[in-house]
Amino acid sequence: MNRSRSLWITLLLVWSLLPMIWQLITSFTSSDALVSTGIPFEHRWTLAHYRDLLSGDPPFWRYLLNSTVVGGLTTVLTLLLAVPAAYGLARMSPTRRSTIRITVGAAALFPYVLLFLALLELAREFQLGNSLLAIALPYAGLALPLALLLLISAFEGLPNDLDDAARLEGLGLLDRLRLVLMPLITPAIASTGILIFLFAWNEYPIALTWLSRDDLLTLPVAMARIAGSSIYAVPYGAYAAATVLGSLPLLALVLLCQRQIVAGLTNGAVKG
Amino acid sequence: MLKLSALGKRFGTRWILRDLNLEVQTGECVALLGPSGCGKSTALRLIAGLEQPDEGNIELEGRPLLGIPAERRRIGMVFQSYALFPHLSVRDNLDLGLRIRGMAPADRRERIDAVLNTIQLVNEADRRPQQLSGGQRQRVALGRALLRNPSVYLLDEPMSNLDAQLRDELRPELRRLILQGPQPVLYVTHDQQEAMALANRIAVLRNGRIEQIGTPQELYFKPETEFVAGFVGRPQINWLNQTRDTRVGIRPEHLHPDDNGCRCRVIGREWLGASQLLLLESNAGQLQMLCSADYQPTEHLGVSWSPEDEHHFDPISGQRLNPS
Repeated sequence: MNRSRSLWITLLLVWSLLPMIWQLITSFTSSDALVSTGIPFEHRWTLAHYRDLLSGDPPFWRYLLNSTVVGGLTTVLTLLLAVPAAYGLARMSPTRRSTIRITVGAAALFPYVLLFLALLELAREFQLGNSLLAIALPYAGLALPLALLLLISAFEGLPNDLDDAARLEGLGLLDRLRLVLMPLITPAIASTGILIFLFAWNEYPIALTWLSRDDLLTLPVAMARIAGSSIYAVPYGAYAAATVLGSLPLLALVLLCQRQIVAGLTNGAVKG
Repeated sequence: MLKLSALGKRFGTRWILRDLNLEVQTGECVALLGPSGCGKSTALRLIAGLEQPDEGNIELEGRPLLGIPAERRRIGMVFQSYALFPHLSVRDNLDLGLRIRGMAPADRRERIDAVLNTIQLVNEADRRPQQLSGGQRQRVALGRALLRNPSVYLLDEPMSNLDAQLRDELRPELRRLILQGPQPVLYVTHDQQEAMALANRIAVLRNGRIEQIGTPQELYFKPETEFVAGFVGRPQINWLNQTRDTRVGIRPEHLHPDDNGCRCRVIGREWLGASQLLLLESNAGQLQMLCSADYQPTEHLGVSWSPEDEHHFDPISGQRLNPS
């Protein structure tokens, strides 16, 4: 029983991690070795792909920084809007709440690619192009419905008595959110934040159309440029190295917040 | 003094609470007694400011309360679920309200230590609520209400989540901590025994309206309506089915064996310790009789009662018919 379970877990891990390991190996393999099997094992390895990326113009870490700024800004902006809104919605009457939930759900399911032309027009009209701060606006708008849905459920899970008791202790709305309610739904806020950050990190069509200056590109756009930089060859090595570098911050973020989520779950026991 | 006049609350078109008139004097404890869904908890939430009434007025110490937000009403409320903040230690639970009111740290510490002493949880100060027993949690909730130094206490079924033994232990605590203070206390419960034991006066609620307000003795000896007669007093009152134009009730403790009385057959026997409850079948219907523990009933026996112990009610309106 136990042995077969660990076997299954191993298989599952290999299944899901293999593409990434492949990518990692590729990123350290010299371009020649990638297309030829005749090169001896000890001569296949190189750091050239990383060196090229980091010494490019602009250097690759610039894109990482751009994406981090956009992702962080989007996450903060979305949570600032979504947390109070979700609290308000969660305390509405059940009939109103379900109507709003369906509307928000529909918005969350809407294929946002259909919006990018209209958004481009807006960017031109209000001169929001080529600004990392401005691009967080459409991102926050697009991430808001999902964040709302997740956070409404989280607030609904808290007993109303807690909010009422805090009111009678003399806590105003902001104090209640800050000192009582938000600490109790930290796990939900953390996981929602990760999802928002991921969305901003991965977003392509809007970033492609809103940002054109070389030093302002976000990761997905920059990586697409690497992949399409030559019509005669596919730069597998450089592309793999870019993927690895682009995943590292996310990996760190998830590991960091995972601890918080687990801690939040174990002392969660919301019922007093 | 807390004064409710013509207080009413509805959800949609349905009135949860209507025409509630009640005065709770300084130092007095009034119990709101009724079955679940009778509107008693809604009344408390209106007074606390957690919900707004659709009609009527609330006055505390002569000043109207309506319009003042719940945060500023100075009300000590204890919830059935305790509503302790699960992420804070006992000390921080007690501290939160004081901190918000901007009290100096040294004063806060002093007052919290005093209250921890009163509720006898000095050693548990650094524990989280989920590490405490039900009785301890309830004491923290009481302590939090005490620290608020309120003008009125509202207790919403404070003991219904506790088992019978803990309830017996907590009752004197409640009396010592809260009921003996000068503040008016409104105590919501569905347990008539608890209401009788703790309250100076009891208001019986049914379907959002007051059936009767009176001392425990008045409710027991002179119930104004059939509902009150049935709700107050355990074991429950017997209803005789001998007459059609009045509903006659007689309490089990007012029946006594009498060879010349109404003929009955014993169909059940319940042992209560110091007394016993006999379940009887007679022409007047099923009767319960409370009698002393050493009484040995034969299968058939006679039962009688004195007419002044009978309670008469109008079968349609449910109002009391006895001359008072």
